[in-house]
This record gives sequence, structure tokens and C-alpha cells, in this order.
Amino acid sequence: MADRSKVGLEFPTYMITVEKNKIAEFAMAVALKEEKEGISPIYHDEACAKKAGYQGIPIPPTFMNSFAFWTGKGLPEIVKALSIDMNKLLHSEEEYEYYGSIYAGDTITRKMKVVEMYERGKRDRLGRFAEVTVLETEVINQRGELVAKVRTTLMER
Amino acid sequence: MVVNFDDVKIGDTIPSYTSGPITRTHLVRYAGASGDFNPLHHDQSFAKMIGLESVIAHGMLIMGIAGEAITVWVENKYLRKMSVRFLGMTEPVDWNDVENTKNRATITVSGKVVKKYEENGEKRIHCSIVVKDALGSRKLDGFFIVALPG
Repeated sequence: MADRSKVGLEFPTYMITVEKNKIAEFAMAVALKEEKEGISPIYHDEACAKKAGYQGIPIPPTFMNSFAFWTGKGLPEIVKALSIDMNKLLHSEEEYEYYGSIYAGDTITRKMKVVEMYERGKRDRLGRFAEVTVLETEVINQRGELVAKVRTTLMER
Repeated sequence: MVVNFDDVKIGDTIPSYTSGPITRTHLVRYAGASGDFNPLHHDQSFAKMIGLESVIAHGMLIMGIAGEAITVWVENKYLRKMSVRFLGMTEPVDWNDVENTKNRATITVSGKVVKKYEENGEKRIHCSIVVKDALGSRKLDGFFIVALPG
């Protein structure tokens, strides 16, 4: 069960360099395509991206979610720190606020903390009760600019 | 296609976008791309153990499809906010029963312009979004905000 004393908990700060091929791989995955030719060229062709007004190859809108999985020990570290049972874990909400752009080659610093924990539903009504945990992540680039904020809501059924 | 602020009216629908049917191979591809290796999304024996009939798609894959739908309409660089609630699970198509399972795995993204306003010196629109399968079951809903030229 989620441990409510964890509100305010700050996870270790992690850094990750955004890899060009990982952007193309992700763009193909969310477009359900098997080859690069099937996706927008801005996600794999730097010249095309620059022509379209980007400073480099940009990331797809939900790519940032992967920073949590590719840094530290990934999801197991997060659920362990929160005392959430992985077998009962549900992702209930996700929100991105974009203040700037992230491009291939950028080095990102990810700062995540627990901002809310609460119960939803009544404990005596089986299946309707859930423990809710809200995580907020600041995404900062190599120039120290806050480029995005992520709000992730997890539920333990 | 360039979408201009002045050409967009409140109540306009965004171009409908359909993708899929989602296969288990798509789930494996998304797992590798995103790093989300929760066995719930690729390991049938794990899904069974926790009481599900089948592995299910990552909620973030469905949100990713929504992100793709948005950026097919408006360029990625104009996106300012995207926010969703996950409402239902998505089971992939079964190759040995495509006829009866393809609709549950086929994803359609639709949306509507709700508000037009100016903020931070930009002309922005606020759009609602809803993602359903081909049976009409809702997978997620939410909204996004884009800044538009013009």
C-alpha cells in the first residue's frame, strides 16, 4: 500500500542524453510503423527538421515519459520507493507542459518528487478503492532551462 | 498543412485519426522504445496471474498515438500542453481470431476546439480529445493546448 509519509519525497536527480535513434524508434512505435519511411521525417532527418523550423531532431510529444524508465533503476525503483505493489499498479493520468523544445543530443536532467497522495473511493467497497500518488517531474536541459513539466498520477488498486 | 489561428473556430473538430489494429508486436516495440518493461504489456502468463485475459497495451502507447494524431494536424513545435486521463484497457488483436478482435485493438482519436485565447504573447487554442476503440469503448480523454500562427 502506498505510504503517505512519502509526500514531498524527492527522487535522486538523474541525467540522460537524448539519442537520435531512440527518437526515431519511439516515433515509429507510437505511429505503429515498422520503418522510418512511415513516420514524419522530422524525427529522423536533421536537415528536414531544420527546414521545418526545428533546431535539431525534436522528440515526439510523449517521449519524455521514457526518461523515467531509462534512468536510475526505472519503474521498479519508483514503485519500491513509494511502497506500491507492482501487481496492482495502474497509470491513471499523465500531463505534459512544454515550455521549450528537446532535441537529439540534448542532455536532460530529471527531477521528480511526490506532490500528492490520497485515497479514492471507500475502503469497504471492493474494487472501487484506490490509493493515488501524484508525481511531478521537472525536465531541465543542458543550459539549465526548464523545458517541460510532467505530472504523472499512479493508482494502486 | 499549416493550421492558422484565424481559420480555426470554436466547435471545429480536429481531423479524425485512426491507427491499428494494435498487435502484441506493437506492444513489444513500444516497450523497447520507451523502456517500459512492465510484464503486463508483453507476458501472457503475468497477465493471467493478475486476472486478465490478455496482455494489455501501455496507456502511454495510447497517449502516444493521441500525440501522433495531434502532431499530424498541428506541428510538434506548437504543442504547449497535453493532459489525459486513462479510462480503459486495450487488448491487442489475436492473430488466430482477427475478425472478432480487430475492433477492440483499432484506435481512433478525435477532438474539438473548445477555446481560443491569447497567452504569453501567443495565440492559443484549447482542444478536448477523446480516444476510443472501434467498438466505441473509451480509452482516454483529456485536452491539449497549441499555439498557432496567424
